[in-house]
Amino acid sequence: MKIKYTITGLDCPNCAAKLASQMNDIEGIDSAKINFLTEKLTVETALEENAAYEALSKAAKSFSRDIKIEK
Amino acid sequence: MKRLICFLKSDVAKIIASLIFFISAVIFEQSISELGAIALYISALLIAGGGVFISAVRGILRRDLLDEKFLMSIASVGAMIIGEWREGVAVMIFFLVGETFEHYAVRKSRASIRSLMDICPDEACLIGGNGEETVLDAEDVAVGSTIIIRPGERVPIDSVIIKGSADVDTSSMTGESIPVAASVGDELSSGFIVTNGLLYARTVREAGDSAAARILALVEDANESKSAEESFITRFSHYYTPVVVIIALLVALVPPVFGLRSLADSVYTALTFLVISCPCALVISVPMAFFGGIGGAASKGILFKGGSVFSKVSSVHIAAFDKTGTLTNGKFIVSDIECFDIDRDRMMYLVSSAESLSNHPIADCLKNYSNKKTTPVSAKEYAGEGVEADIDGVICAVGNARLMQRFGVRLPEGIDLSDRILVAIDRTFNGVIRISDELKPEAGDAIKKLRSLGVEKALLLSGDRKEKVDKTAVDIGVDEAYGELSPEEKYNKLTRVISDQGCTMYVGDGINDSPSLAIADVGVAMGGVGQDSAIEAADLVIMTDNLMKIPQAILIARKTINISWQNIVFALGVKGIILILGLFGFANMWLAVFADVGVAVLAILNSMRALKAPRL
Repeated sequence: MKIKYTITGLDCPNCAAKLASQMNDIEGIDSAKINFLTEKLTVETALEENAAYEALSKAAKSFSRDIKIEK
Repeated sequence: MKRLICFLKSDVAKIIASLIFFISAVIFEQSISELGAIALYISALLIAGGGVFISAVRGILRRDLLDEKFLMSIASVGAMIIGEWREGVAVMIFFLVGETFEHYAVRKSRASIRSLMDICPDEACLIGGNGEETVLDAEDVAVGSTIIIRPGERVPIDSVIIKGSADVDTSSMTGESIPVAASVGDELSSGFIVTNGLLYARTVREAGDSAAARILALVEDANESKSAEESFITRFSHYYTPVVVIIALLVALVPPVFGLRSLADSVYTALTFLVISCPCALVISVPMAFFGGIGGAASKGILFKGGSVFSKVSSVHIAAFDKTGTLTNGKFIVSDIECFDIDRDRMMYLVSSAESLSNHPIADCLKNYSNKKTTPVSAKEYAGEGVEADIDGVICAVGNARLMQRFGVRLPEGIDLSDRILVAIDRTFNGVIRISDELKPEAGDAIKKLRSLGVEKALLLSGDRKEKVDKTAVDIGVDEAYGELSPEEKYNKLTRVISDQGCTMYVGDGINDSPSLAIADVGVAMGGVGQDSAIEAADLVIMTDNLMKIPQAILIARKTINISWQNIVFALGVKGIILILGLFGFANMWLAVFADVGVAVLAILNSMRALKAPRL
């Protein structure tokens, strides 16, 4: 399943790339891409919608307090 | 009150507060006790750098030691440990100032891109059965609902006009600046602006499937595919950072071991070195330029599908064109009429009436030929042959020789029948109509312009008859023309051209040529917001029918590529120079912070230039 989120609070494309690669490592997330300029996070996942959101939010939160993910 | 809190939390407030402590520390350093001065410096540092330190700790926790904030923190703390109090605080304040500028620049470019992309309203005004109006989220509007669009408003969802007429500004979807008149029965694409009338329309798609949404999704996904320049940067920072860290360690440790410098001095040099090494400016410089380019091109009705398309478009050597619908309007016009034993107006009246129910492209020009026409009592279409209709008791057959054969119409000898429309009334042959496809007026100029931009060879690949294709080739000045090709032969021909020569562009209208669009180095789909398969297969989508957009796309691509290289060279150059200065102890922390944040800001500002598409 492909899900798209809005992700705000990223500082720079470098951080975006780092966060995306950490999200890639989450179990059940097949791919995670962050477009820094449009502030869009696109994930391919086998997880159920809420579970995916939880997992991604957790990763974002541990990365920086300022980062927020919205549907 | 809320605003006050917001302000106090902002970076600007932090900078001001930190500066007050810092300046008072500098002024009163001599007059108060050392401890007092240190307390002032530390307060200044905590105000400016608190957030940075927290981020740095998070960076360490996720074992990301080359995080920009981590580097700034060790630089600042390191400077204080070796007694450089002023330097330590100043680095942090300067870093915060730079970050503020960087965020501002990013925000600004995001806003300008968003305004380019802000082509579709989120809400739609629905008309219920009793005429009552309700405003709904466009996403919640079901297909088949009736919406109302007032003057000055944008069309929220793809729909068909059911009442009213107006001039419609289609520029955000097609790049065409001249408004188009639209009335009942015309399709409205989401993103059009109704300039001067009130329109009632029935929605034909959901908001998510509407043209504007599809285009936005395209542009949003565009940056995800990596271009050659981007992967160059990724490869580069892969080696760059570890190398810099090793050099920093050597700089810190080697001179003191040999007793050349004090440990404090060489540690300071190493810290400076680390700050300069931050790769952020480099990493931001390329995608930012491409994003600007994509936005700028979109405002001209040209869609680049991803960063990798820019480098390919900028180096096109060969351009191959489809004919019908690409170089020609795809609209047929009646060029000659011959009639036998019948009044010309009478014949055309019957022909227009007979064709009036057909949707075939040829029928379009025939049904609009005569002003007078009537709806046939009955009409039957024979695919690939023509139409037979009963018009007030008169049986009129319009089509090719095969249709005439079907009805046993005797054809006279000695007339070239190929490629003509034949007319038989009550089974008697009565006339011949010749039609032709109009060349787009700008076709010749577009080819000339492409040549001046370095396209060495222009080809014409068409399914049309050879003589026609050859004539078109001469008219617009292409080098080689191939006619009577099936879509498959077209594809094979193109494959051979691609393997033989340089970067090849194929321009088609997306009907039957998706495979060719996909195989070309650069597939260009013309005039297609509607053709999903073509958009899927193409690298470049031109939203109008105007061929001049192709040379313009090349100019945009070249400008964008130039900007991205300027950014790379500038970022690497400045960093390189300051790194070398730092290595020999000439660069201080201040310069180092500039090399990091300042360069990033300048690269972003330079990238904003890509938003403005160059003129032809």
